Amino acid sequence: MSSTSQKHRDFVAEPMGEKPVGSLAGIGDVLGKKLADKGFDKAYVVLGQFLVLKKDEELFREWLKDTCGANAKQSRDCSGCLREWCDAFL
Amino acid sequence: MAAAAQLTDEELFSELRRFGLSPGPVTESTRPVYLKKLKKLREDERAGARGSANKTRNSNNNNTGAGAAPGEGGGGRAAPGMGARLASPDQPYLPGGAGGGSRSRAAPPAGGGKVLLGFSSDESDVEASPRSQAGAGGGSNSSRRERASPPVRGLRPAASHGACSERNSFPPEAARRKPSAWWGAVARRPTATAGAQTQDMREPGEGGEDDEEEERQWKNRTVNGNRHPSLGGRAEYSDSEEEGERAKQQVLKEETAARQHRGRRSLSKSAGPFTASKCAAAGPGMMETGQQRAGGGGGAGVIAMNDRAEAAAAGSLDRGRNEEEAAVTSGGDCENLDTSPSTPRYRSTSSKNSPPLLVLPQPTDMDSSKISDPLGTVRKAANNHVLSGAAGGFNIEPRIYSATNSLPLGAATPSSLRINHSNHTGANHTYLKNTYKQKLSEPEEELLQQFKREEISTTGGFSAHYLSMFLLTAACLFFLILGLMYVRMRGSGVAEHGEVNSKYEIKINKKLILLGDHDCGNSIQRNLSVQETAAYLKSLGPEYEKVLNTALQWIMSRGEDVGIKCIGNDPNEELNNVTDVKYLESTRPQMSFRCRFRRAFITVTHRLSILLLGIGMVWGVLHYMKYRWTKEEEETRQMYDMVVKIIDALRSHNEACQENKDLQPYMPIPHVCDSLIPPQDRKKMKKVWNRAVDFLAANESRVRTETRRIGGTDFLVWRWIQPSAACDKILVIPSKVWQGQAFHLDRRNSPPNSLTPCLKIRNMFDPVMEIGDHWHLAIQEAILEKCSDNDGIVHIAVDKNSREGCVYVKCLSPEYAGKAFKALHGSWFDGKLVTVKYLRLDRYHHRFPQALTCNTPLKPSNKHMNSMSHLRLRTGTTNSQGSS
Repeated sequence: MSSTSQKHRDFVAEPMGEKPVGSLAGIGDVLGKKLADKGFDKAYVVLGQFLVLKKDEELFREWLKDTCGANAKQSRDCSGCLREWCDAFL
Repeated sequence: MAAAAQLTDEELFSELRRFGLSPGPVTESTRPVYLKKLKKLREDERAGARGSANKTRNSNNNNTGAGAAPGEGGGGRAAPGMGARLASPDQPYLPGGAGGGSRSRAAPPAGGGKVLLGFSSDESDVEASPRSQAGAGGGSNSSRRERASPPVRGLRPAASHGACSERNSFPPEAARRKPSAWWGAVARRPTATAGAQTQDMREPGEGGEDDEEEERQWKNRTVNGNRHPSLGGRAEYSDSEEEGERAKQQVLKEETAARQHRGRRSLSKSAGPFTASKCAAAGPGMMETGQQRAGGGGGAGVIAMNDRAEAAAAGSLDRGRNEEEAAVTSGGDCENLDTSPSTPRYRSTSSKNSPPLLVLPQPTDMDSSKISDPLGTVRKAANNHVLSGAAGGFNIEPRIYSATNSLPLGAATPSSLRINHSNHTGANHTYLKNTYKQKLSEPEEELLQQFKREEISTTGGFSAHYLSMFLLTAACLFFLILGLMYVRMRGSGVAEHGEVNSKYEIKINKKLILLGDHDCGNSIQRNLSVQETAAYLKSLGPEYEKVLNTALQWIMSRGEDVGIKCIGNDPNEELNNVTDVKYLESTRPQMSFRCRFRRAFITVTHRLSILLLGIGMVWGVLHYMKYRWTKEEEETRQMYDMVVKIIDALRSHNEACQENKDLQPYMPIPHVCDSLIPPQDRKKMKKVWNRAVDFLAANESRVRTETRRIGGTDFLVWRWIQPSAACDKILVIPSKVWQGQAFHLDRRNSPPNSLTPCLKIRNMFDPVMEIGDHWHLAIQEAILEKCSDNDGIVHIAVDKNSREGCVYVKCLSPEYAGKAFKALHGSWFDGKLVTVKYLRLDRYHHRFPQALTCNTPLKPSNKHMNSMSHLRLRTGTTNSQGSS
């Protein structure tokens, strides 16, 4: 049983549109800034990366860790969030 | 092997392909990731060649796309992901992946510490705290005990008979427990069967002991993960009102209390053979248990009261005896067994009980001298336990309510006590038992009588009582006599005068006094004519004739009132001459007692009625004023509500205008009115509306009133003039919507079968935060919509004042209740986690008598299903109108 955070639920509830990358579950201020510095300033860019990695959560997590130094929990939250979003909207 | 760094993109791609991966495009950002993956794959290859299966498995765990361990984090949601992965070919780890994906909470220890650790940290923070709590509990049992946590974790020194009796009774109890227990007991059963039953003092309260033993066995296992989930599960869905440790403690306390209650119920069901074994174990083991339970605390106040009552009963019966003995004595009975050893415990825990729970011991303190009452209370309290055990119960307050109800009823259940004690198969202490029984029957009746009369008399002794009664009667008599004397005084007055003529006057007086009777007899004639007087006097004696005139003259000459008044033809005329006198009237008529009394009574009644009338008028005026005042308040509240709505409407309109430049930035006032108030209410709310408009004009600085010409007509319009914040648009927080389920309902966190047709749903709202009149209707609607497939709900009651946000639901049958339970329990509603419990039907009817007759299923009032809008989104529709 895993309970989801409010952030996760909010993200998955509707199309992401132009939401900033900080609205992803698991991505807070610090990580958000790091990602934005690398060019991933919007959530859809990170989604793009997720899709490029063929929606492979494991790889995505690796990538996230390399890119912004997310720890296991953060990356897990983020990948789960994106995956669910894809399941709902893609 | 080519160095990884020098691979080109294509080479990297093909290398990965070789390993069976299906990599995406190797771009700048994905390159490092794929390089890493390639490295890992190569290591695995090498390791696999060496034949270390473990490593392969572990590394495969990490590397392959199956991602079993992390896949667990997705839980049920991993299923589609798993499907996707499984679809890709060349998955060597397919079975492992599938197993991992479907791995449930009860992770077998073979998973390895790494997997389990990852698993437990995967959970939300709710899990973390019970884990730490459990860890702390495991670490320091004594400290937990002192913190009044359930004594469940206490490791007790071995007592052999405790162990063997437990072993005897465990299997039957297990069978019995299955239908009744649901909070983790079923899940624990498989884990509990493993050996280690060395320790254990059986807890009084079979349920508590059983759980304790199981918990201990858990502790014996080194796997933490086993225990945590159920704990966390419990904590999550159980009713924890406070945060943190305290909540969990309380929760666990209540749980063990509930479990004990359930244990008691199952105990009472099969009294005979079980009690035999228990009582055998009871004797010596009980003392130690009692000692060690110091600080343990039963948790629920009812238990405490039960204990106290038991202590009182035991103490008052056998004062000279050892308390423990007495405890054991009464402990021979099934239910008493649970509570008796806690007599020493109670002392230490009484101070720890939370304040509402302390209410209970006090009434029993008052009745400490009464035996029947506490025993009756025990019986009733035991019944309460049964109830709460059966259904998970109400929270503490209804228990208190029912328990205190049992106090006056306690006196009326002596027979049940006898039945109780007839179950005594303890047999070790038959002597005590007999005396107890005898003492019970003999003074029982007297005590009952005493109790029925009043409670105070015992302490003061009889003299006080009689004294007060005597005083009261004396006062009454005094006043009565006073009144009679007064009444009699009116008619007495035979004034004695010193004159000769007075003798005759006396006679005349006497005659005239008889006139008084006429008065009461409704005779019109009050006067006695002179002729009649003469005739009367003649009848009295011949000499009286002559003196009539002199007497009359004397009367007239006397200025004062002698008791006779002379009246001429015309009552108001002044009399000068004796001959003018025509009638004689008595000024002090002697009326019969009855007449007098009647007159007095009538006077008193008149006066009283005037007084009452005055009071009634005052009361009426007060009432009217109160009514007006409440009406005033109501209107003001409505006005404020309206103001809030208007402001919201204006603000949202303003925001809409920001985006859509075609709209006018102002809104005409009548339009706002019509949009906010439905047509049928418009007339009613006219006054409120006007007040709101005035309020806005006077007090709201963000809204400006202007006059504009719209479509040729002049309108008063409102313009919102607060500049909106420069930040991103705030996500609209949905209100009163269902937001998905927090956890899947499985055996561990929900009862295996539905127990009763009544449910108590907690945490649906926060009474402090709710505004308006009809939010409870929205709550009801939300519940109906969530259970829209379940047409068995017949009664819903929203308890608007409850701190916990409770809603009570009654269904047609337990199956419908089970369906509703599944739909509601663990769902997120309006940002709060909703929990559901079963309630006893009779309790429900007791509280909501109007539900007795309800048997038509309720339906949501409209088809919009507003509260389910967010859930609809999640099922994949692209409808983004996520309005609440």
